[in-house]
Amino acid sequence: MIVVLFRRLVHALLLLALQVLVCNHIHLMGYATPMPYVLFLVWLPLNANRIGNMLWAFLLGLAIDIFSNTPGEAAAALTLTAFVQWPLLRAMAPKDSIEDMVPTYKTMGRWNHIRYIFILTLVHHTAFFLLESFSFFHLTALGISFGGSLALSLLLMLTFETLRHGK
Amino acid sequence: MDTLFDRIRAQGHWIVFLLLEVASLVLLFRFNAYQGSVWTTQANEVAGRVLDGQQRIIAYTHLGKLNQQLTETNLELQTENDVLRHRLAALEHDSSLTERVLAEQLANIQRIPAQVINNSIRERENYITINRGSADGVKNEMGVVCGTGVVGIVCQTGKHYAIVLPVLNSRSSISCRLHDTEYFGYMKWNGGNPLRAFIDDIPRHAKIRVGETVETSGYSNVFPAGIFVGKVKRILNSDDGLSYKLEIGLSTDFARLRDVSVINYSNYPEDAEKSDSLEKEVRP
Repeated sequence: MIVVLFRRLVHALLLLALQVLVCNHIHLMGYATPMPYVLFLVWLPLNANRIGNMLWAFLLGLAIDIFSNTPGEAAAALTLTAFVQWPLLRAMAPKDSIEDMVPTYKTMGRWNHIRYIFILTLVHHTAFFLLESFSFFHLTALGISFGGSLALSLLLMLTFETLRHGK
Repeated sequence: MDTLFDRIRAQGHWIVFLLLEVASLVLLFRFNAYQGSVWTTQANEVAGRVLDGQQRIIAYTHLGKLNQQLTETNLELQTENDVLRHRLAALEHDSSLTERVLAEQLANIQRIPAQVINNSIRERENYITINRGSADGVKNEMGVVCGTGVVGIVCQTGKHYAIVLPVLNSRSSISCRLHDTEYFGYMKWNGGNPLRAFIDDIPRHAKIRVGETVETSGYSNVFPAGIFVGKVKRILNSDDGLSYKLEIGLSTDFARLRDVSVINYSNYPEDAEKSDSLEKEVRP
């Protein structure tokens, strides 16, 4: 139990550092900022507690918000994504998965895993940029940031997953 | 009662989800006016960073205006310097009529401040677009300068925009002279390095030193005399070997051009225009 908690804390801190120290400084063509911290939810095992997942997501989102001047945005978006993640993983995991399966290319199947990551990222980015539109509304600019960020996040996350687990 | 608790336990994730979302949204909407309570320190830091960024942006926009003013002051001082230099020369020896006329002309130059909105330095024929046109008094063949020296000559004028043929264009030819010896020639650019141009046809007997200042000659109708162009970087032989060819290190960094001034030098006496048209007839 302690080991699981500790590992999750390390994951959260690593993704927080990656976001705050590196990704927040990337504004490709002035718009696209990658947000690969959705990976935190990808790495949650099948049997993780649903409420616990949401609390983790909320805290990670809040920490990112505090460092990136977006109070509540990442927290709200990531909580929603965690809320969706639980039934989504149940629907997409292969029927013969073991109880504490952690989604990877191997356990999920290659395209299935990519689809899983894509849906989670899409949910997160949609929520994030909808909330962003409260403070900044300019449809084209918002659309470009949304598309650019989504593509960049996915690229980073898939690269990361490939490096971590192989093909 | 048991069923109620069961129900709450079964739907617990909904309650937690809604609570967390409400908390996030409260944070989001109260961000601007959030004060007091446990978040004060973070909120203050966040606000501080936002204000700092805003301040920097404001300071940056003011820099543009400051730059503009400096450009104008610089041009003013350069022309004034030239006027004074000529006055001094006029006092030191018997002043000739032409010198006095020149000094008077320099005193009433009209400037039109403009900003570069498009620029290239990579081509062989580069052009600069500025955001002033005929509506602002810009006409073809007017000179364009910036704080660090000569930029080019207006070659096409629209209503609100104009295209400038800069020094960095192989068609450009600006009449220049050496500051000390007053030998003059036409400055040409033949592509490549945007910080280097050439003056041909400097006679062999001229005593030129590296580092000497090059300025506009004032012989054409475009620029008043004495506007900084650059410095002599190397002294080379011309292609035919009969004269010197000077390599000029240009003072203007065209890659960073922003604020410029168009010079209205049309107060030139009328016969100058005549001579100009004559020149055009003679030189195809």
